[in-house]
Amino acid sequence: MIKVTNLTKKFAENAVLKGIDFEVSLGEIVVIIGPSGTGKSTLLRCLNYLETPTSGCIEIGGIKVDSRSATRTQINKLRKQSSFVFQNYSLFANKTALQNVAEGLITVWKMPKPQALQLAKDKLIQVGLRDKLDQYPSQLSGGQQQRVGIARAMVAKGEVILFDEPTSALDPEWVDEVLAVMKTLAKQQQTMIVVTHEMQFAREVADRVIFMEGGYIVEQGTPQQIFENPQHKRTQAFVKRALKY
Amino acid sequence: MQTSLDIQYIFELFPYLLKYLSVTMGMAIWGFVLALIFSVTIAIIRVFKITVLAQLCALFISFFRGTPLLVQLFLLYYGLPRFFPIFEGLDAFTAAVIGLSLHFSAYMAESIRAAIMGVDKSQMEACLSIGMTRSQAMRRIILPQASRVATPSLMNYFIDMIKSTSLAFTLGVTEIMAVSQMEAASSFKFFESFLAVAFIYWAVVVFFTRIQYLLERYLNRAY
Ligand SMILES: Nc1ncnc2c1ncn2[C@@H]1O[C@H](COP(=O)(O)OP(=O)(O)OP(=O)(O)O)[C@@H](O)[C@H]1O
Ligand SMILES: [Mg+2]
Repeated sequence: MIKVTNLTKKFAENAVLKGIDFEVSLGEIVVIIGPSGTGKSTLLRCLNYLETPTSGCIEIGGIKVDSRSATRTQINKLRKQSSFVFQNYSLFANKTALQNVAEGLITVWKMPKPQALQLAKDKLIQVGLRDKLDQYPSQLSGGQQQRVGIARAMVAKGEVILFDEPTSALDPEWVDEVLAVMKTLAKQQQTMIVVTHEMQFAREVADRVIFMEGGYIVEQGTPQQIFENPQHKRTQAFVKRALKY
Repeated sequence: MQTSLDIQYIFELFPYLLKYLSVTMGMAIWGFVLALIFSVTIAIIRVFKITVLAQLCALFISFFRGTPLLVQLFLLYYGLPRFFPIFEGLDAFTAAVIGLSLHFSAYMAESIRAAIMGVDKSQMEACLSIGMTRSQAMRRIILPQASRVATPSLMNYFIDMIKSTSLAFTLGVTEIMAVSQMEAASSFKFFESFLAVAFIYWAVVVFFTRIQYLLERYLNRAY
């Protein structure tokens, strides 16, 4: 369903991704962990083509794009296969919660407005924001904003939702409500790739954990394998430190 | 030689001048609408750095900011029909509108561009992430946010443009400046005539400054 082959990304002379290969199947929950600055965000952003890979192939939901020959049309098609939940929410500042969620349905998918608003409303109710429909992002707490962000990603009709540290900008009191929404999504077999420092979440929810360091995938396996019986020395060191907290 | 100020003359002149205010405002409004269209186009071309067009726009901006409005009006009115026969019948009013709009669009494009660049990069990324194209993102999210930032300075340009329409009398447009000039010449009450026209400009500007204030207050409340 998702297939990444030999993906590399350089910023000027700085090689950030040095050859990434992995696959994700439908309904799978993949959590990516690793130290700061190892290219986790860059990898997610490449999948959504917010960053143009230097080389490599990305295939999502039957749309295959080779970065060397990518056309604008292909990139647009590939982008529609995934949606993104940002660390800093990135809600549309000039739109209400409801409009934020409905926007993609109306603009991208040409859904009639009343229908789009109804669907957006349903999703916001699902993430527990029934009484915040008409608030602007500036009037919402971090946790509420992030739940709108998730609802917006849910209706984007992509095959996969990419989460880049969805809870790390949040005050501790709002983290659980966002994780709860993500767990519900996971139960519904929504394919997800999640970059996070929430090890507890990774353990509970992930089907597979990928440990990244220095622009490579060092090790991957079930949460049990990675957290309880890591094979690679670097993974061992990282997991030991991470689980202390 | 008159020494006292003929206040009654000023008051008599007001209604007469006001009849031509519609010409002045017509130029300003048409000029502003055209300038908005030009400047948004130029700003988008510059933001997206569209090859060749972006360079042409930079040249356009440099020229229209680098030369006096009066010179531009003369070039347009006396030059265009010579090189482009379709402009043969170009009347002074239209020439002034075009000249004003080109001149002001050069300035407005820069403040619109700054407003667009001022919208957080994450807004564009959020659009792209849900599958919107760049131009959809521009129309639906970026421009509406930028317009809020740009509105106060665009209003300033509009007010500036109202005052600049007074140059159109040099092309022969009969607007309030031209009328006061003619009145002055026939009555020899120069000071009174120009004082009368000055008061009219002033009142109009005060009026639009008030609108600007209300508009800003409304925009600040919007979200
Ligand atoms: N737009 C950019 N231009 C230049 N360098 C960049 C850019 N984005 C990221 N980098 C560099 O790429 C490297 C990896 O960054 P990235 O954000 O992908 O790491 P990360 O694993 O997500 O880290 P963190 O856990 O801190 O979020 C860093 O060294 C960073 O400086
Ligand atoms: Mg990151």
